[in-house]
Amino acid sequence: MRISMPHMGNLYIPFTALFQRLNIDFVIPPLNNQRTLSLGVRYSPEGMCIPFKLTLGNLIEAAELGADTLLMPAGSGICRLGYYAKTQEQVLHDLGYNAEIVCVGVSQRKLFGLLEIIKRLSNNAPWSKIISAFRFGLAKLNALDRIERAVQKVRPVEKMKGTANMLLAKAVKAIDQADDYDTLERVQIDYIGQLNQVTKEERAQPLVVGIIGEFYVLLEPFSNLDVEKELGRLGVEVRRTTFVSEWTKFSLFLNPLGMNEKARLHKAALPYLKRDIGGDGWESVGEKVLHAKEYDGLIHLAPFTCMPEIVAQNIMTSTKENIPVLTILCDEQLGKSGMLTRLEAFVDLLEHRRRAKSKA
Amino acid sequence: MIRVGIPRALLYYQYYPMWKTFFEELGTEVVVSPPTTQAILASGSSRVVADTCLPVKAFCGHILALVGECDYIFIPAIRSVKRKIYNCSKFLGLPDMTKAVIPESPPILDIDIDINKGKGELYQAIYKLGRRFTWNPFRVRQAATSAWQAHLKYRQLMSSYGLTSPQAIDGVKPQTPPPTQATIAVVGHPYLLYDEHINHRLIHRLEQAHYRVLTPEMLTPEQLESAITRLVGRPYWTYEEEVVGAGGHYLESGADGVIGIMAFGCGPDSLMMNIVQRRAAKLRTSSFMCLTVEEHTAEAGVVTRLEAFLDMIQRRKKKGSEICV
Repeated sequence: MRISMPHMGNLYIPFTALFQRLNIDFVIPPLNNQRTLSLGVRYSPEGMCIPFKLTLGNLIEAAELGADTLLMPAGSGICRLGYYAKTQEQVLHDLGYNAEIVCVGVSQRKLFGLLEIIKRLSNNAPWSKIISAFRFGLAKLNALDRIERAVQKVRPVEKMKGTANMLLAKAVKAIDQADDYDTLERVQIDYIGQLNQVTKEERAQPLVVGIIGEFYVLLEPFSNLDVEKELGRLGVEVRRTTFVSEWTKFSLFLNPLGMNEKARLHKAALPYLKRDIGGDGWESVGEKVLHAKEYDGLIHLAPFTCMPEIVAQNIMTSTKENIPVLTILCDEQLGKSGMLTRLEAFVDLLEHRRRAKSKA
Repeated sequence: MIRVGIPRALLYYQYYPMWKTFFEELGTEVVVSPPTTQAILASGSSRVVADTCLPVKAFCGHILALVGECDYIFIPAIRSVKRKIYNCSKFLGLPDMTKAVIPESPPILDIDIDINKGKGELYQAIYKLGRRFTWNPFRVRQAATSAWQAHLKYRQLMSSYGLTSPQAIDGVKPQTPPPTQATIAVVGHPYLLYDEHINHRLIHRLEQAHYRVLTPEMLTPEQLESAITRLVGRPYWTYEEEVVGAGGHYLESGADGVIGIMAFGCGPDSLMMNIVQRRAAKLRTSSFMCLTVEEHTAEAGVVTRLEAFLDMIQRRKKKGSEICV
């Protein structure tokens, strides 16, 4: 049995750590590239969203590498995501790959469902071993997100553009290679120290832009054409509430205990949207309302034809909070130069607003 | 008398007799918006972001047509009508979205329908809706019971006499179908099938060419459910039976042709229609065509494709050549 899973950002690193410790044969499909996208687009129904196309591309490329057990997120009451696996399995079978898709619940029975799947895949390894491997995977996940947060702060103010991105790439590699908790801790301290020592522009007060929207396109830089790096290059500080480590922390551990990190967002959205509409639509509206005062602008990322985000976008245009929002729809037709032009115009607008505000 | 507006769009075709009975029993007058026109569609499109799907744009147009014509507008948020089966986000957010994009709309009567929360919650929601018009809880209960009876009668009328939704709503007498050339099944959501402006009078055209038209409503829930089970296993979407269920059933029962209608950018349909298409390609018992409609769909384009499709069926009947999908 050879296991694989689709990409979403650096999520493959914690999973590699987890599966390595359990001696499971895990193959990482090639990182998202043009071929992945082309394969996904070719074999997807035409109206599908970019997460479906890219994950399908990943699954096909994994199957080419001999993977026969593929992990896919699924669940009910979310959006099309719950139906992905049914169609993707048919596509793989039609292409002649005899792969089985194992659905990992992301809406119900999250922690225990996942642990049970790991138990099954690991050929009934003892629970103690599974839990210790799982903890190590989580530690890597947290380390990745900690570095990424630090990079988000440095990118807009660094003197030598590109330094932070270079350090991020190195840090990701080092985290991937770390084999025990001590190394992992040392890598984090080391790189965060290096990031703090990067020479920064003096008196630079960067614009602050919040990035909100759909989970996958927020976290997979290939699908949003590295929007965060581009904003950093334009001297804009990016804030994002969606991190995989946050999601795991709450969804797997704290939500079952009755803690709801999203209650604040939902409450903020209440005057405009009273109910959950699936996906991340409710949260998008809530973030706009909540961050209107703190941020200079918002960038709303959504896959083309994403149902919850279209509803959110319709509602966001008419909320009374006064903050500029740029909606970027991501699909295989999104071009880099088109997006850059829009980003530059947006940043110009924000700078103008800030100047006008400081004069008043 | 208080006037309650019901837009002639989206779930109108599924539930109109039920809603009408409920509100009339509570002593209100029910106002329905006129059939979709280009003006209605254009006014609706101008209010929402471009990526919104065609039926929702038409829906907003119908709301605008009702502004000034009624005192309340009824827009339910239907989350689930069966356990653990959920609906498209656009239906869930419909009342909130309408309020946001059409601020001048009359007060919206919204009600959350979610079977997953149990019958108690559902009755509470119905009661809360009815209490706006009467102080008497028994009258609400009576109205709800009659509404349910009306709905069952409506479903039964369609499945046993082979009527389409508009025929059943208008009370057309069941007729024995005239001698026909062949049977064509048209599958898709009722708001696409019966909105003659959106689908460019597809059903009318088929009937004029003397084809017998079959629609999803003519099947019983059991037939639809068993077809879904065969195609995809457990249903996932609330209105999956209209596409996967009906499509699967008609393909397997050997209709001469199956036409699927979907709206461009429809999330659930992009997957469900694909399942039907795959099934058609595998079975090769009926010809299958998928029509995707949006604002730019031109009448001539639909007619050309339809003619080509029907010609193909005719030729096949004569010569017995291979099935195309």
